[in-house]
Amino acid sequence: MTALFLLGALFAFLLLRVPIAVALGLSSIVTLLLFAEQSLVSLAQRFFSALQVYPLLAIPFFILAGSFMTTGGVAKRMIAFANALVGHFRGGLAMAALLACALFAAVSGSSPATVVAVGSIMIGGMARSGYTREFAAGIICNAGTLGILIPPSIVMVVYGAVTETSIGDLFIAGIVPGILLTAMLMAAVAVLARKHDFPRQPRADWRTVLKCGRDAIWGLLLVVIILGGIYSGVFTPTEAAAVSAVYAFVVAVFVYGDLGLREVPRVIAEAAKVTAMLMFIIANAYLFAFVLTTEQVPQTMSRWITDLGLPPWGFLLALNVLLLAAGSFMEATSVILIFAPIMFPIAVALGIHPVHLGIIMTLNMEIGMITPPVGLNLFVTSGVAELPVTRVIRAAVPWLLVLLAALAIVTYVPWLSLVLPRALG
Amino acid sequence: MIVALTFMTLLTFVQVVLRYVFETSLVWSLEATTYSFAWLVLVGMSYGVRTNAHIAVDLLTSRLPPRAGRLVAVLALCCGLAYCALMIYGSGQFLDRLMTLGTDARDIPLPRWLLTGIMPIAFLLLALRLVQAARPLFATRDSSSAAAP
Repeated sequence: MTALFLLGALFAFLLLRVPIAVALGLSSIVTLLLFAEQSLVSLAQRFFSALQVYPLLAIPFFILAGSFMTTGGVAKRMIAFANALVGHFRGGLAMAALLACALFAAVSGSSPATVVAVGSIMIGGMARSGYTREFAAGIICNAGTLGILIPPSIVMVVYGAVTETSIGDLFIAGIVPGILLTAMLMAAVAVLARKHDFPRQPRADWRTVLKCGRDAIWGLLLVVIILGGIYSGVFTPTEAAAVSAVYAFVVAVFVYGDLGLREVPRVIAEAAKVTAMLMFIIANAYLFAFVLTTEQVPQTMSRWITDLGLPPWGFLLALNVLLLAAGSFMEATSVILIFAPIMFPIAVALGIHPVHLGIIMTLNMEIGMITPPVGLNLFVTSGVAELPVTRVIRAAVPWLLVLLAALAIVTYVPWLSLVLPRALG
Repeated sequence: MIVALTFMTLLTFVQVVLRYVFETSLVWSLEATTYSFAWLVLVGMSYGVRTNAHIAVDLLTSRLPPRAGRLVAVLALCCGLAYCALMIYGSGQFLDRLMTLGTDARDIPLPRWLLTGIMPIAFLLLALRLVQAARPLFATRDSSSAAAP
């Protein structure tokens, strides 16, 4: 009953176009005041302590690293490298855009950031080479979602923080599914390219490939530092994030020299803005999750689902349907914060590995980013492609099939997610 | 905000360097970082309103006729203000409790209430920014302004 009121209030506020963060917070507060013996003091306290959760500190650092990488010419060099590698295939520029998204995802923990970094250069470039703007936008919008699957990943940080799963394991686990999804999207482009006779680029000789690779290596080293550092135990994920922010600053300002020292405060301010926006949602989602817990919703739902006697595959199917629905109405990190505590105990009881569950949830959130009404990637793409959102949605929808297929494979082949963490751990 | 983010990044970085190069560490570093984080977000909330950075769902509102749209926008503003009011009240009481307790933070030699004191102020700022962003709603009577905030 209380839970229903909570959900109803949330949806009512959302429909009124109340910002998501406020809608989450206000519905929690109102529910607590009406139904529970909790005081506002404990809520304020919880809000403040949510802003002090140590693992979540990785978020601003990864965002900052991403901003330096975007403005500091790292994206540009990765695109050049990707283009040298695959540009000569039919539809080569589209494939290069895809590959560049995957490469940039390895230094960025956020999907919208990946869209901005690659899209602001590539969409215009593809339009000039004879692709439609819609096609370019559709590709970038979808490939950009790789940002949270290929490590580092903000969504995985949040999942790791609430379920106490190793963030290092989650990062490593995202690699194989990330490569799989990239390959599947590539294949889809190749099929379309043959059908529509897309243009090719001239083949780059191996010396150009090598040179572009060497240029891009400074950016790609970042992911090596992060994963190597976490796995060798040199630093915690949060520290790894801080180190990568400083590293990205050094690369952007001193190695590439594309970013002047005078522009640095602007980059930091932008990262601070994104951090505040995201953490405002997360802190309110903590309140929401707190209300659910005081109302015993996770326990009740666990019992309910366990009593259904679903086999693991049935549970996973239901989980995916639920997450896809939630993901299209809410922002990714808040979905994780609300659903992970509910689903985690059930999944563990059914013998599903916590890391595997984390990867499944991450992939669902990827799809959530390109499904309206709350698909962050759609809005960001519409901004960089200078197209109305409705046309971006239409352009992005066909690619959803590829993402859904990837989700099905990753869900039912746990090996893909677990092979690397097991080999290393 | 810029200062807070730079400060916490460098502090965490320095902490790693200190640990491995000098085999020492700063006791207060962790707490200073988490408090900067909280301050960054709290101050950033209202900045987000000014720069229109907060995400909202316009599924319904984009389909409404202008008059109804304006009504809904006013309702949404009221929701936002109610949220701020409740949070100001809650955090004020939280602060009051911390003041009565009078304890210092764990590693920083400052009272906890001072470090948490930004909270009601931040929500007050948020409320002000919300009103400011919604001003076009009341200023003019023509329907084109109904899209805000």
